[in-house]
Amino acid sequence: MTIQVEDRSLVGAGGFFHRFEHWRVSPVVAILIAILLFAIVPPTIFLVNASFHETLPDGSPGAFTTRFYQQLMAGKLFLPSLINTIIYACGSALIAIVIGTTQALIVERTNAPGRKLAFLAAIISLGVPHILYTVAWLLLLGRSGPVNDLLASIFQRPQVLDVYSLWGMMLIEGVGFVPLTFLLMSSVLRSTDASFEEAAMMSGSSPFGAFMRISLRMAFPALAGLTLLIFVKAFESFEVPALVGLAGNVSVLTTMIYQSSRQAGAANYGEAGAYSVCLVIILLGLMFWQNQLSKNAKRYQTITGKGFRPRVIDLGIWRFPASALLVFLFLCVTVVPVLMLAFTSFQPFYGGVSLEAFTRLSLENYEALLKPGSFRDSILNTLTLGTMTATLVVPFTALCAWLVVRRASGAWMLDQIASVPLVFPAIILSVAFLDVFVNMSLPLYGTLLSVILASSVRYLPYGMRYAFAGAMQIHSDLEEAATISGANKVKIFFRILMPLLAATLVSSWLMIFLLSVQAVSLPLLLVGPGSEVMAVTLFELWQNGQVTELAAMGVLWIMLMTCVSITFHMLTRRHQLTV
Amino acid sequence: MIRTTNRIWALKPLAAYLFASAFCLPAPAGADPLTYLGPDRQAKLVEGAKAEGEVVFYSAMIVNQALRPVSEAFMKKYPFIKVNYWRAESAGIFTKLSAEVRANKVMADVVEGTGVGEAVIQAGFAQPYDTPLIQEIPEKYRDPNHIWTPTRRSFFGIGYNTKATATADLPKTYADLLDPRWKGRMAWHAGSASGADLFVTNLRMKWGEDAARAYLQKLAEQNVISLSGASARGLVDRVIAGELGLALNIFAHHPLISASKGAPVSSVLLDPVASTVGTMIVPKGARHPNAAMLLIDYILSREGQEILAEAGYFPSRTDVPTRADLAPITEALTRVSEQFVSPEALNKYTASSEEMIGALMAKKP
Repeated sequence: MTIQVEDRSLVGAGGFFHRFEHWRVSPVVAILIAILLFAIVPPTIFLVNASFHETLPDGSPGAFTTRFYQQLMAGKLFLPSLINTIIYACGSALIAIVIGTTQALIVERTNAPGRKLAFLAAIISLGVPHILYTVAWLLLLGRSGPVNDLLASIFQRPQVLDVYSLWGMMLIEGVGFVPLTFLLMSSVLRSTDASFEEAAMMSGSSPFGAFMRISLRMAFPALAGLTLLIFVKAFESFEVPALVGLAGNVSVLTTMIYQSSRQAGAANYGEAGAYSVCLVIILLGLMFWQNQLSKNAKRYQTITGKGFRPRVIDLGIWRFPASALLVFLFLCVTVVPVLMLAFTSFQPFYGGVSLEAFTRLSLENYEALLKPGSFRDSILNTLTLGTMTATLVVPFTALCAWLVVRRASGAWMLDQIASVPLVFPAIILSVAFLDVFVNMSLPLYGTLLSVILASSVRYLPYGMRYAFAGAMQIHSDLEEAATISGANKVKIFFRILMPLLAATLVSSWLMIFLLSVQAVSLPLLLVGPGSEVMAVTLFELWQNGQVTELAAMGVLWIMLMTCVSITFHMLTRRHQLTV
Repeated sequence: MIRTTNRIWALKPLAAYLFASAFCLPAPAGADPLTYLGPDRQAKLVEGAKAEGEVVFYSAMIVNQALRPVSEAFMKKYPFIKVNYWRAESAGIFTKLSAEVRANKVMADVVEGTGVGEAVIQAGFAQPYDTPLIQEIPEKYRDPNHIWTPTRRSFFGIGYNTKATATADLPKTYADLLDPRWKGRMAWHAGSASGADLFVTNLRMKWGEDAARAYLQKLAEQNVISLSGASARGLVDRVIAGELGLALNIFAHHPLISASKGAPVSSVLLDPVASTVGTMIVPKGARHPNAAMLLIDYILSREGQEILAEAGYFPSRTDVPTRADLAPITEALTRVSEQFVSPEALNKYTASSEEMIGALMAKKP
């Protein structure tokens, strides 16, 4: 017994896992891979098929063709669009990472007063459907919005800012990702051992220097993963390019595809398919690179058996400016857009912000929405959808992430496969799943369960990023200690890993809940009579151009989501899992 | 209740298949509920619908204002039929229906929308049906092939801001749109069958290809802004907010609805004014044909049309009055010629109209 222990300590963790992965993990990885493939292969096949076949008028695939790829490459708009897309995606990622990380650093690492309220702010923002968020920003910064009115009176010329431009797109998309970045980064920073920072500061570093040289560097793998996530999301995003870009003649790839697939008759998914296939390949390349990067992940493991203490840094007098910065960001990122929505929701029609507009405040939008039967039927469906999706995704991704981080044999594939849904444009994923479910012999077509399964696949990558960032920082020594004490892998997963990851998983759950309930394109085609969800109703208002009613419903939605989040917060706090 | 029905649907693919094959084959004369026109038609349909117990209705009508009220009123009249409705835009309806047809699992009994009929006809998913109520519809909105019946009409006009534009400056003809004052200040809704494409189709049908092309070349010089991703109604909001001078080819009634709430906006009809209809289609393989016919009859009836009129649609029956706030359009229609663009015409023209726009506008930087 003693010899064995010594033997293991000599061989080290690598040897231990090397032995382990051959005997016990591989089957688990194999099962997980099988589950993932089962979920991801059908839409992938649909996608690849669509990209290589003409679409017949009845929607079925026709003759084989490579013209979509040729068109994609040959289109004279392709290169400018690609450049625009890259600038837009990089800019958005930069804005989100800078603001989100700053917020997370202040909240997790300093004693700035009131910092914990930033979580509330992030959760409220995350509850705002993306389309509403975009609309709110456009109302705010648009040609007749209050910001331009203000600037016009200062500079004495009309329309100082043109939000329908590349910078406008980057700003709106980037700011939209701030809550997500903040939540992810704070879960990373929270589990970083502060003793390194303390050591740095004791050696004469300033708090800022310690942030830059220690905290940020230690969070680097997570930061890289997150940047990749936002980059890819912006790359394939649709709302902002459509609402902001098209109106300002800024063409990016997604809108190019959208315009080409919106021809008369049967929707043509060929070009969108070809585009997605290219995107999947690019993403897999980036993922592979990131995987290489995290090979050195051990350098970043900070939760060891030594009892880590994520401690706050006393900013001294600087804690007040830090708080002020948080408040400022809270105002910009959350309060102002939400107020703009609230203002619009009390208008009979939207005609800009003016004193006159305040004289025509009315409640009629709310009256219209609260009429019997309006959307009450769909509330239960919506909550079920969010709860089930998050509950399916979170433990699954925790297990996957753990196996990936511990380099179980073949586990690297898990990360890659689980990230594939990230690049499927939602509309394609929705059509693909429609095809899968309608042809299935199981009676799932048109049911809520089919929507839950589809959104679990869709939000898998998000859960994966979250769990991955958390798992990466847990040193294997705790698990080794448990193994030596006789625990099996199942026990280690539930007794060691899950408790250490709990805070991360709790935020992951909430995030997936909030994202899945506001998805529109995915449930749009999958729901049938009786399984409608709220987000689709919201989208319907948008399509009909009922902006003021949309704003009213958005306000109700944000209230509901804030209630859900706070309830969740209180429930988990009792078990000290609180974010 | 609804969910139970869902399960039953899905559990009976065999039954669905049998039904589908039964109705794809030519039924014996007089036996097919879709085409039977005998004096005991109503009694037979009611009897058949009692056995069917439900009707599945895919529609693009707005739920709160039209789809739910009309379904509820129908269920009040026929309490033994449950209406299961699902709402989406035309493109979504077509995508779902085509997936159902390919899988031989058709759920929809009646499909309604403004853009969906064309695609369904083109794909060959529709089966002909007859109803005596078609006699109440003006001749020009009837389908000689008996594939569709019209639920509602739409007229298209130019939206403008009443504060920013004096009545004297309003465009009165299409040529007025070429006035330099509108350069860069006009927008249309791109990538939608009812937006920019219809604008072009309308002129091509009325003026012929050459005249339309010559006009569009001049219009392209005006730098018309192509907006998409939102809806035609979104253009109106921008006109109200003063961001746009004119919104081309928008639903003529949208500005009036906003104006009735006090918004400084209105619409003007140019000659020729484009009109389209929302249509109802019965897909092949529909499993509740009797209930489907009763629903179609109800929507075409005076009672059903009144509900749609109340919701702000233009009824397809001319004996049902348009809602009071939309009366100016009905009145203006007497002064201009109407170019009705049927589903078949949309099929024929839309793709090439879009190409024309692409070719003409792409020259612009």
